[in-house]
Amino acid sequence: MKQFFASLFLALTALCGAFAQTPIHGTVTDAQGPLTGVNVFVVGTLDGGITDSLGRFSFTTNRTGVQTLRAVLLGYEEYEMTADVATFRNMEIRLREKAASLDEVVVTASTYSIGKSSQIKTLDALDVVMSGNSCGDLVAALQVLPGTAVVGENGKLYVRGGESEECQTFVNGMHVLVPYSTNVEGQSQRGRFSPFLFKGMSFSLGGYGGEYGQALSSVLPMETTDVASSDKLGVSASLLDWNVGGTKAFRQSSLSFNAALTDLGLYTKLFPDRCDWTLPYRKLAGEAQYKWELSANSVLKTYAGYDWTSVGMRTEGRNLSMNEHNVYANATLRTRIGQGCTLFAGVAESAVISDIDDALAAGDRYHNTRNEVHLKAELQQRFSPQFKFSAGVEDYLRGSGKQYNETGYTLSYHLLAAHVDAQLRIVPRLFLNVSARGERLSYNREWLLMPRATLSFVPNTRFQASVMAGRYSQTPEDDYIARGQFRLRQSTADHLILSMQYATARTLVRIEPYYKWYHRLPLLSDGVYTAEGYGYSRGVDVYLEDSSLLKNLTLTASYSFNDSKRLYLDYASPRTPEYASRHNFRLTAKYGFGKFIVGLAETYASGREYAAGTTPCYNSLDANVTWLAHPKVIVYASLNNLLGRTNVYRINPDGTQVGATRDRFFYIGIFVSLKNNKAYDISNF
Amino acid sequence: MTSRIFSRRLLAVVLTVFASFSLVWAQDVPMGVLIGESLSKLQQDSSPEAFRNCVAELKRIDAMAPGSAAPKYYIALQSLNFAVMNPHAEQTEGLIAEAEQAISQLEEIKDADQSDLCTLKGFLYMVRIVQDPARNGQRYYLDVMDYYEKALKLNPDNALARQLQEKFYEGMRQQ
Repeated sequence: MKQFFASLFLALTALCGAFAQTPIHGTVTDAQGPLTGVNVFVVGTLDGGITDSLGRFSFTTNRTGVQTLRAVLLGYEEYEMTADVATFRNMEIRLREKAASLDEVVVTASTYSIGKSSQIKTLDALDVVMSGNSCGDLVAALQVLPGTAVVGENGKLYVRGGESEECQTFVNGMHVLVPYSTNVEGQSQRGRFSPFLFKGMSFSLGGYGGEYGQALSSVLPMETTDVASSDKLGVSASLLDWNVGGTKAFRQSSLSFNAALTDLGLYTKLFPDRCDWTLPYRKLAGEAQYKWELSANSVLKTYAGYDWTSVGMRTEGRNLSMNEHNVYANATLRTRIGQGCTLFAGVAESAVISDIDDALAAGDRYHNTRNEVHLKAELQQRFSPQFKFSAGVEDYLRGSGKQYNETGYTLSYHLLAAHVDAQLRIVPRLFLNVSARGERLSYNREWLLMPRATLSFVPNTRFQASVMAGRYSQTPEDDYIARGQFRLRQSTADHLILSMQYATARTLVRIEPYYKWYHRLPLLSDGVYTAEGYGYSRGVDVYLEDSSLLKNLTLTASYSFNDSKRLYLDYASPRTPEYASRHNFRLTAKYGFGKFIVGLAETYASGREYAAGTTPCYNSLDANVTWLAHPKVIVYASLNNLLGRTNVYRINPDGTQVGATRDRFFYIGIFVSLKNNKAYDISNF
Repeated sequence: MTSRIFSRRLLAVVLTVFASFSLVWAQDVPMGVLIGESLSKLQQDSSPEAFRNCVAELKRIDAMAPGSAAPKYYIALQSLNFAVMNPHAEQTEGLIAEAEQAISQLEEIKDADQSDLCTLKGFLYMVRIVQDPARNGQRYYLDVMDYYEKALKLNPDNALARQLQEKFYEGMRQQ
């Protein structure tokens, strides 16, 4: 009997033990004090609690013996303790703040992201179109950013004292040989790509990594939109261009097309300018895109575009007539192999054929063909949240031919390049990006190795500071290579940039002083181009963006100071290049009310130095208004140079001033979606 | 777009469609039961505290099987559900950060349902619009619609995507 009671007692004790509730309690703190909202629990169970405002937690568990207690809070290192559950009492847990990983930090030094290149987009295509004086031109819209200079006679991008050729454009990582639509001298050239093609742009003003080459000053990588999920059809019209485009969406792919005709004939009749046109500017363009999601991890994107431009004008006793065919196509495949590894492969073809009659003198004839095939492959590997690595190879195969009357040349060469790029977090808040790019130029068998590095200090989400240094290269233009007897070496530029940025949800301030040293620039010496040229460009860019002053009002201000001198081309001594202005200032305001968005932009640039004198300063006040007339209709109008100032772009050796051919430019356009289930979405591109 | 379109009825919608979603992870029956129990507590109490407790419980379930998609899906869903109903509450930004982390983790899971992922991404942008319609409406409305469309293209029976899409269109029409 005694034995029975003893057994019963032991069994009951064991049973009670099984259902016994062991209390667990304590506090959680960090270096600053108690932490609220920490999830403390016994791993493998639902038993747990959340800390209160004093960092206290308390709960019970029916687990016994050795267990693991875990405390988790977003932004902090996980805490774990494995011990007998009975000891989890009056615990004092101290959590350490988690250092941001490489994926969580976007180093923005010297780069302006538009669209969704990073997690949160700052501007989208509509913002670009509605930008003060852009008239829907991507390149013009980018010129509100600091570091760019106003060069009205061609409208191209000139960055931090560099030539326009020193800024190179990439679509889905692939090089574009000629990103502008052509025009006659003295007329502004527009970017050939519509902003609606792209979901993200990342305009780097220098200091970029090893992936990008053949650009002495800056790069503009742009990423096309993803596979469309629904069908679209749209048209747009203005006084100078007409456009139709659409998209057919399939289950895992989409096909888009666009056709556009630009003709300044009607516009010139309505608003005559100071030119004597024999054939008003006309451009016919067609584009197509096919995007295919092969799987959840693989995307194939293809793009093909063709432009035909013709224009003719009577000037200096001759009838200049120009025709250009510009073809660009690319195909890229990006696939996530797994375990943090991504493979990229792409091919791009650019071909440009230009014919000009009466180019320099009556009766002459100019013919130029340029061709480039760009092949590229890259492997990216994410080893840990603290270390990423990528390596790639690429080849530029270029051919060119020029004929002017009886003289000319043909050339062909290729440039083989490889790069490695490592991103690492050295210690919490300190990030390093080191890369190296090697290039071999076939025509002179020259090897070039270019190290690049960016060190960034990111103490919190608001502030970051970076220092960037690196060497960059670019082959000289074909004319110089030919006249350099195929011995001309690549030009190089060394960048040193300091970047400081402070950003809140509604305010962004960035200051970037920089210094660039140019080496081996083409220099004409005894009728032959040599690589003896050199120069420097130094300055500071300041950018401010704010949307906190008034609801729906966004203000931007940018100021660039640039001091540059170079000895190159036919210069007899080092001097400031003609395209460079010392001070550039832009102020923009955008305000939305009801169905209207109104924009104002003021642009100022100090005079440019020519041998015969310095031009007066450039000044233009531009205005635009967007009317969201209907969910499927957008009307846009802009007037550039409201005050009608006659801006001077150049002073000829004889002292004559050459300026804009018209003082004001008025644009009005309407975008209509004929088929689209989304409101205010431009259906053509 | 205003937050009025996202009433507490949305919670009922989300919970109603839970049943259909549990099929996706039918292989994790005990986990499904645990998740169901955790979510059912919100039917009695939908206070901010209850939401936080629910998300905390879901994270404990997630810790039991770190490679499983279901708890991460519900962590994101419930965090966004709270945020859309309380766009300016003290806890909202923290919960949105939880949702973003859970979505990132789901993207890394090979077998994660792509239609559900698109739904969550659309929902995340929708929350951002509800938080600040004037600033984020124009920026994100196309993303919201694209993600819901894609979710439905991948799985026409995705009831949550359909209902959230309808709510969003309803909100757009009220503008």
